[in-house]
Amino acid sequence: MNEGQNGLRGRTASPSDDADRAVLELVTDGQLDALQELYDRYRTMAYSIALRITTDPSQAEDVVQDAFLGVWRNASRYVEGRGSVKTWLLSIVHHRAVDAVRRRRPTSVLPEREDTPPPSLTLPDVWQEVVGNLDRAEIAGAMASLTDVQREAIELAYWGGLTQQEIAARTGAPLGTVKSRVRLGLLALRRTLIGADAGAGDDRGGRGLPAEDGSA
Amino acid sequence: MSEQPMSHEQALDLAALYVLGALAPADEAAVRDHLATCGLAHTEFDELGGIVPALLEDVELVEPPAALRDRIMDAARADLAARGGHPRAAATSPPADGLSEFPSAAERETRRAARTGRLDWAIRIAAVIAIVAVGAWGIGLQRQLDTSQRFDRAVAAVLDAAAKPGAQAVILTPAAGKQGRGLAAVAADGTVTLAMRDLPATGGSQVYTAWVIVGKMPTSLADFTVDSNGIASVTSHPAPTRAGAIIALTLEPNAGNSAPKGEIVSTGVTPGPPPGAAG
Repeated sequence: MNEGQNGLRGRTASPSDDADRAVLELVTDGQLDALQELYDRYRTMAYSIALRITTDPSQAEDVVQDAFLGVWRNASRYVEGRGSVKTWLLSIVHHRAVDAVRRRRPTSVLPEREDTPPPSLTLPDVWQEVVGNLDRAEIAGAMASLTDVQREAIELAYWGGLTQQEIAARTGAPLGTVKSRVRLGLLALRRTLIGADAGAGDDRGGRGLPAEDGSA
Repeated sequence: MSEQPMSHEQALDLAALYVLGALAPADEAAVRDHLATCGLAHTEFDELGGIVPALLEDVELVEPPAALRDRIMDAARADLAARGGHPRAAATSPPADGLSEFPSAAERETRRAARTGRLDWAIRIAAVIAIVAVGAWGIGLQRQLDTSQRFDRAVAAVLDAAAKPGAQAVILTPAAGKQGRGLAAVAADGTVTLAMRDLPATGGSQVYTAWVIVGKMPTSLADFTVDSNGIASVTSHPAPTRAGAIIALTLEPNAGNSAPKGEIVSTGVTPGPPPGAAG
């Protein structure tokens, strides 16, 4: 595995990443103009993500407001080297939007963790990005190249805010199958989008996961 | 703190669902705990998680309404004012959970401590004030910047007073059928600093009078007038007070009354232990 080296990992920062970091630094200093600049750079993406998840324009607005206030208050918690400012910001939007749809789902089977921090304090994980500045069409194409069941599982999880159990209930697939569809789908996306390094998927094949479809 | 720690294999098995945020809260917490404490490599999480940002691009682009920018900027402005204009005040508060992907055990302890309520009380006050201040700019409310800034400054004054030792914060809410809400800081010597909004303007000889009511005995704190912007920023003289005392505003026909003649407009109750000058 070449994952430990600088090869495929750690995509190079683009000029716009550097500019974003400079703006975020000003946000940390309490510069309202900088927050507005950040908003203007990412409002369309942020709102589009929130709208896709919540499917409700007014809730999407609330999510975006909540997320940008979270960024405003927590700008100093951005960790350089763990992904771009853009990804950090949009991950916060995604996270808040999923929180919002889970809260409004009346039949949610999710027990509240007693130590769940209030939503305003939670920031999502941001993983080291392996792809950057990809064409949107390229990403749509990669999604289209997944099998139907893989795409469905990833979309229900990521855009529907459903948990593994809920996806299983919705699709009628066993839990283990849901798990493997999501995993293999992500690995296929990785393979398609960054070309090389398909090895990660292949050398894990022996971990007893069911075959991709898993329905047999 | 799960009853049964998750094994390394179990955590790896859930990696794909974890990076997509698709685990039930209990499972997610268990994986998070595992990542925080396990010394083994977790490349699977990076491999799978690294692709997730690409998914964010898979949306149909929709422009948000133009008014959303104003809402966000107003709320941020109020938040800044609530922190007394010190932008880093919030940044230095204990971090909450979910900040980074591999928090150290020590970090986790700090976060637990933050969750279990060992927050400095000044931070709690700041949070309360922020909620009130943000509420001042309700959805779709169009206010002049000038008015916003006046209320900002009023809130900042209350925050400063509330941050002093022995001070207490009070939220004032409107009486039935009345308007006027805000917050107050009651200093240890009973001096009250008020920030109010939405108060109907006074006319003629009318004044608002702030009172502290201990038991059933009201003591006048300050008289003040309000113009059409509905904002008041007032600091009273010291007065005897104690825990459970009521801070009230009345609309009086004239200034200088030693007992209320008018109706109560807005009230709040002092919380917690008695301030130094208990009466």
